[in-house]
Amino acid sequence: MTDAALVARVLGGEREVFSALVERYSDPCTRFAQRLLGNRQDAEDAAQETFLRAYRALGRYHEQDTFRAWLYRILVNQCRSLARRRARYQRRVTSDGLAVERATAPSLEHAGDVRDALQHALDRLEPLLREAFLLKYGEGLDYGAMAEITGSGVSALKMRVKRACDALRPELEEIFHD
Amino acid sequence: MTELDERLARAVRAAYERTPPLDPTARERILDALRAEASPGPGMRSFGWLLRPRTLRLAPLAGVMAALALVLAGSFAGWVSRDRMREATPDSYLVDRGAAPGRVVEFVLVAPNAARVALVGDFNGWDIEAAPMRRVNAGDTWRIAVPLAEGRHVYAFVVDGSRWLADPAAPLAPEDGFGYRNSVVVVARPEPT
Repeated sequence: MTDAALVARVLGGEREVFSALVERYSDPCTRFAQRLLGNRQDAEDAAQETFLRAYRALGRYHEQDTFRAWLYRILVNQCRSLARRRARYQRRVTSDGLAVERATAPSLEHAGDVRDALQHALDRLEPLLREAFLLKYGEGLDYGAMAEITGSGVSALKMRVKRACDALRPELEEIFHD
Repeated sequence: MTELDERLARAVRAAYERTPPLDPTARERILDALRAEASPGPGMRSFGWLLRPRTLRLAPLAGVMAALALVLAGSFAGWVSRDRMREATPDSYLVDRGAAPGRVVEFVLVAPNAARVALVGDFNGWDIEAAPMRRVNAGDTWRIAVPLAEGRHVYAFVVDGSRWLADPAAPLAPEDGFGYRNSVVVVARPEPT
């Protein structure tokens, strides 16, 4: 059943059918959030908040948009909010005079965090560049879909992807050498 | 070079796809959080009537106000007068000062053309099967009496399985940001005398 058909059933009163959409998208959403935020706990929080907001706002989903793009728009905004909150925390840590090392670490390590070489490379990117890079090379989206999701223009997104690639290429070459 | 060459792009994609999936307990937490939510309303784009209920046939105002009052089964000490209901604003509540914990509250709706009406609210998980209302004497009025715990409750009526209606006589909950309004009733502790 298509996403739009599932949405119609939920709005028709079959609330529990929304769980089918959760089944379909919870892994992709968490995966994207993990790679973007660098830690699993934040990713799960972002995913949960995304599904709650999507559920509450479901009456506003228009079938002209793809459901995935609509959902990812919410997800990207949730990830940005979480990252801002975490940045505020880190700034407080720095101003308290605690070790600079802790303040510059991308995240506190938790069990289940993805700490592969790709993540290590991604963590060094600025958030907006990382976001654009992941939408393009992780999710495999075209620039039109990326523009829909982020609200940014295609040329701005192309510039971000270029800068991300330039920054990452040496490390990626090393990680993925034949 | 503006983008990654194909080999690197494929390698990145493969590593990305190896990102561990959500574990079942985390997915269950998402579903639990969703279960606690109210049903999503039909939405403003197709149901503009939500903001001005049209299904009621309004009799002379006085009669309607009486019919739509929240009536308490039991003693009525201190319950809200008709005047107060008329001037209710979104942040005020109908309060019954005589209520005791576990008070039974009767909800009444005038909806002559409905085939079925359900009372839904935070006290029954917004479940349209939980509190079907009964038509009184095959007429225009529907009612149900439900026990409510002390405190503030949010509720609405669902007509014919899919049309949501805030109680026209009750104060409205603050707008939820998506165009959907619910009604509020507060069952208060009796004030000390």
